[in-house]
Amino acid sequence: MRLGEPAKMQAAINITPLVDVVLVLLIIFMVMAPQMRKGPDVNLPNTSKPSQQGDERGKILVSIDDAGRLWINDQQVEAEHFGDALRAAVGAEQDPKVVIRGDARLNFREVRQAMLAIEQAGFRGVGLIAKHAGAKGE
Amino acid sequence: MQFNTGDSGSNLQSEINITPLVDVVLVLLIIFMVVVPLLMKGYDVDMPQTSAEPTQAEQSQLMLSIAPTACRILEPPAGEGLPADCQVTLDDQKVPAAELPARVAQILGGQPTEKRVLFLAADDSLNYEGVLRIIDLAKSGVEDLKIEFVSTH
Repeated sequence: MRLGEPAKMQAAINITPLVDVVLVLLIIFMVMAPQMRKGPDVNLPNTSKPSQQGDERGKILVSIDDAGRLWINDQQVEAEHFGDALRAAVGAEQDPKVVIRGDARLNFREVRQAMLAIEQAGFRGVGLIAKHAGAKGE
Repeated sequence: MQFNTGDSGSNLQSEINITPLVDVVLVLLIIFMVVVPLLMKGYDVDMPQTSAEPTQAEQSQLMLSIAPTACRILEPPAGEGLPADCQVTLDDQKVPAAELPARVAQILGGQPTEKRVLFLAADDSLNYEGVLRIIDLAKSGVEDLKIEFVSTH
């Protein structure tokens, strides 16, 4: 016991710096995550109980910014080309889901017009994206 | 080495084994990296139908209308919830927004899931966030409530 003890203590790797680095990385990712989203910055409406809509992959993101401009995924689209751009965005996906990220300051008119355009492009049903009241980020 | 008189066992136990902690933190890090930027929350709704659908007229429709005169949410509502004086029209009756979950539950709660449909007519001038909060209220009353927008024009 007496002979083995010093060697044993040196054999343990000091992982405190590793934990520090990992925690810092975690914080960096938590802070950076909202900026990694697709599309423009949209001030999403706050509601109390939005249900899960899954993740962004495999969905078409239609964003409407506070000026009423339409975006499909990362690209701004003029209203008159919206239907064509939406069908072009489908790609190889079978019956993809369309979600609308509308700014909280918009009138309902802009959102309703976007929903009409999505319906006319041949999609049924959309998800209206909100954020949980009190949740941080975006 | 001066502890070998009898303390060496308790000395070894006093060190916390943080290897599992590191494992957990690393897994959390990976989960955050992959999932957080991609998760979304919201409401599933059906779109305003441009063509008239007589097949749905025969069902008992529950219509919720929001008029800007009864519920003045022309700007994003401050804080959480809706203004206290906000009233909506449910089935031709004026209902304070706060009573909406109970009323929707009363009317649709006993229905089978596929008949839990709420037709929503919202005025164009209303604020989008306000409309979403009313949808949120209506959905909180009944599970699996389907929202169908009605074109007011």
